[in-house]
Amino acid sequence: MKIIEDALKRGAKSLSEYESKLLLAEYGIPITGEAVVTTEADAVAKAAQIGYPVVLKGSGETLSHKTEMNLIALNLRDDNEVRSAFRELTSSTRAEVKEVLVQQMVKGDRELLVGMNRDIQFGPCVMFGLGGIFTEILEDVAFRVAPLSRFDAMDMMNDIRGKKILDAFRGKPAVDREKLADILQAIGQIGLDHEQIAEIDINPLKLLDGKPLAVDALVVLK
Amino acid sequence: MAAQKPNMKTLDLDGIFNPERIAMIGASANPRKWGFIILLNILKANYRGRVYPINPREASILGYPCYRSLRDLPEKVDMVLITTPAKVVPDLIDECGAQRIPYVIVITSDFSEAGPEGAALERDVVARAEKYGIRLVGPNSMGVFGSKTNLHATMPPVMPIHGNVSMFSQSGNVGVQMLAWGEQEGLGFNKFVSSGNEGDLNCIDYLRYFAEDRDTGVILGYLEGIEPGANLVAEAKKISRKKPILVFKGGRTEAGGKAAASHSAAMAGENEIFRAAFRQSGMVEVKTSQALMDCAKAFSHYPLPRGNRVGIITRGGGWGVITADFCEENGLVVPPLPEKIIKKFNQILPKYWSHGNPVDLVATISHDPYPECLEILSRWEGIDAIIALGAGRRGFTYRYSKDVTGPQEVMDAIRMASTFIEQRNQIPDEMLKGVRQLIVKSKKPIIVVAIGSEKSHKLNLADYQVVSYPTPERAVRVLWQMYKYSRFLNSPQDERKF
Repeated sequence: MKIIEDALKRGAKSLSEYESKLLLAEYGIPITGEAVVTTEADAVAKAAQIGYPVVLKGSGETLSHKTEMNLIALNLRDDNEVRSAFRELTSSTRAEVKEVLVQQMVKGDRELLVGMNRDIQFGPCVMFGLGGIFTEILEDVAFRVAPLSRFDAMDMMNDIRGKKILDAFRGKPAVDREKLADILQAIGQIGLDHEQIAEIDINPLKLLDGKPLAVDALVVLK
Repeated sequence: MAAQKPNMKTLDLDGIFNPERIAMIGASANPRKWGFIILLNILKANYRGRVYPINPREASILGYPCYRSLRDLPEKVDMVLITTPAKVVPDLIDECGAQRIPYVIVITSDFSEAGPEGAALERDVVARAEKYGIRLVGPNSMGVFGSKTNLHATMPPVMPIHGNVSMFSQSGNVGVQMLAWGEQEGLGFNKFVSSGNEGDLNCIDYLRYFAEDRDTGVILGYLEGIEPGANLVAEAKKISRKKPILVFKGGRTEAGGKAAASHSAAMAGENEIFRAAFRQSGMVEVKTSQALMDCAKAFSHYPLPRGNRVGIITRGGGWGVITADFCEENGLVVPPLPEKIIKKFNQILPKYWSHGNPVDLVATISHDPYPECLEILSRWEGIDAIIALGAGRRGFTYRYSKDVTGPQEVMDAIRMASTFIEQRNQIPDEMLKGVRQLIVKSKKPIIVVAIGSEKSHKLNLADYQVVSYPTPERAVRVLWQMYKYSRFLNSPQDERKF
């Protein structure tokens, strides 16, 4: 795949968030509407295209801890807010930001994590669990060895302690399990198809009216 | 190496477990050598085939004439056991190759388990075996057992009972001790292999062979690791549909990837991935050696429950309550009795019986309504399995009569009580027969719990094919494992890929 080859050629250790999501989208995984821009005018144009509110993020494969580096501007509601956020990000002293990601702002109600890693004995494995800040706090995750059958994918969702998060919750609909199973199977397939990929995190995978959507993603290369 | 071998459709290892003629290179007249001890084990267990000890310096060992080499044997053998020092093994493989021996078991250690030099020697041995098409057990194996020909070619003198359980073990010690333990528990084995260093044949090969083997009903495995790319999940998924694989994984402490960049890699410990692999492939994973034994007994003797609904019958309230609690905490359901079943019990039991599930018969000393009640319960279509508390023979009460001294009056009373208890002890024998009949009739597992009668479990299994445990917790855990496996069998075989 061209994205991976290009990244490897330039010696990158991982794909940028934007590239990571392009890869996921190739496998039918729903991702946020987004575009990479380098100018303020372009940022405004893309924001209008995607639809307000939007998020601006510093982009680049070296920028994997954007929250900690303060390189994220959330909930921007109009052209003016996009302009000032763009200027602030590109003048950041914490990191050199050449590109900015303009992204659909998702107010998902629940955060999940879907990932892939390689086991020495079993090869690519899929991980599923609670996302966001709870990933590290609760360590509530389940694994399956790729390839996942449909049954494996469905069974995996019931294999976490916090499985109730997938049910209807505070007026929000239950997760679309078929769609989620598609994603779990797809991420395993990516691992099988691309030997050069070492690890993947989709975190968070948010639920928007019960439909899972990849909001942030990291693809680590070998 | 072995993982790259073509994935043959059937893997014939009969010559390892049921050979008709074997030779032993390294046979010894010295009782301190394995070449003596293993030979003695083979002879003592009445091996039904012919054994040819090979030792150029001895005329005979244990009354068996010795031969100088494989070339000098009067007939071709199916299998060769090697117990010589490691450094001569490569040349011996050449000799086996020249005589077209299909199977060789290398007991000898000092190979890859001993360091880089041993590893190089092992590679040499395996490469030579491959050249001749010899299939190799070990090196560093503690031997094999096969019930068909009574082959007890193991280092310790274990004499397993014959049954339908076959086992591979990546630890020789754990394996042979499971055989010995099975002997005490009444659990019979069909085949056993200590897979040693798995230079050639590995645990997945044995799995595949046991899967096709008609005499094997249940597969047991002790596992510490698998070769990269060995495809355990895909293989075991197919096999688990045919027969249960009970697996105990050793070495579960390793933490996840330390230097990982993602959560997915950082949180993936070996333990988690193995657990996932077992679950995906329908393998029954147990966490203790005790559970391995407990499950082996039930899986090899009982039908599977179709669901997770349990009927409990007890002679006294407390144990019934404990059992019900433990069922509910472990994914099993204890459903309430419907009116029509309650009415049936009302006709037999005193008014103050529990009127529910657990069915508490309340202690009655004269007439024993237990067998009748068990039958009613087993016929109820609202449950899939039964835990029968106190149905085993000879509870602790029979100790009454032993070693007591006292005034004549007391001694007379004890004698009378003993006679009564002896008579009562006849009843459980009848009852265990009845339990077996009800299992066959209802196709439901009925697990007996006999608290405090640790010696009776072997007899229950051996004499009546009734599985019993000394605590309700163990019975519940086994039932839960059976239910999980049954659920796997009923899961759709939907292998739809992405």
